[in-house]
Amino acid sequence: MRLEKCWFCSSTVYPGHGVQFVRNDAKIFRFCRSKCHKNFKMKRNPRKVKWTKAYRRLHGKDMTQDSTFEFERKRNRPERYDRNLTENTLKAIKKIDKVRATREAKYIERRMTGKKAKELREAQKELEQNISLVKAPALLKEDPSLTLPIKVKVSQKQPEVQLMEE
Amino acid sequence: MGGKCPHRKVKKRRLSHKTDRRAKFLVKGDDMVYDELRKTDEERKSLPLDEDLPGMGQYYCIHCDRYFANVAVRDEHFKTKRHKKRLKQMMGPAPHTQLDADLAGGMGMPDNGPKLMSV
Repeated sequence: MRLEKCWFCSSTVYPGHGVQFVRNDAKIFRFCRSKCHKNFKMKRNPRKVKWTKAYRRLHGKDMTQDSTFEFERKRNRPERYDRNLTENTLKAIKKIDKVRATREAKYIERRMTGKKAKELREAQKELEQNISLVKAPALLKEDPSLTLPIKVKVSQKQPEVQLMEE
Repeated sequence: MGGKCPHRKVKKRRLSHKTDRRAKFLVKGDDMVYDELRKTDEERKSLPLDEDLPGMGQYYCIHCDRYFANVAVRDEHFKTKRHKKRLKQMMGPAPHTQLDADLAGGMGMPDNGPKLMSV
């Protein structure tokens, strides 16, 4: 069983999923879903479409260089079956997956630092520009039409249900 | 490519969908053209005489993968915006391939095993 990558979005194509297009020069294009197939037919460049992995890699949105990327490879050679090796590989897959997930999360976290200052600046600017929309509390008292209709909570005493005991 | 006429004078007449669809399957892909351009002159096949193509298939634009009726028309094509755009595109980075997709998807380079002895 071989898990291929989608030509357009680089997601994994599992057996029985997606479509593949074989061009008349025998080149194979695999697509994970009709969305990717359609985008290919429209002759879109995956490097310019923001949701693809190719774009994200190219623009530094995702982690690019990491030792965990070296494990998953297309191996074009037969491997003799070895029970122990298989068992160890299956164990390693889980571990590597975890390592990669944490590293990726860390990368994104590092990439997002400095965003807070930017958001604060934008919020301050918006406040400065639209300060006229904010009404003083004294004015709201005078003209009730400016306020939203107030919903009053009806407090009911509920008998305490004790389901968790026993 | 086909079916479109950018200089159409009569605005109401629409594109010809039939020629558009026919041309879609005949035009070479970007990566094929890109590879063709990287070849040296000797590697490229000389243009064979083909009576089905315009100008017996002798006046060809590699970048746009188009045949023209004569030299004058081809040279006129070289001056067009579409051709220049294409020229620029082909000068740029190599088109996206399956290998690029694999690498972006978190895979390493393909492992072909140790090289066989060449005797």
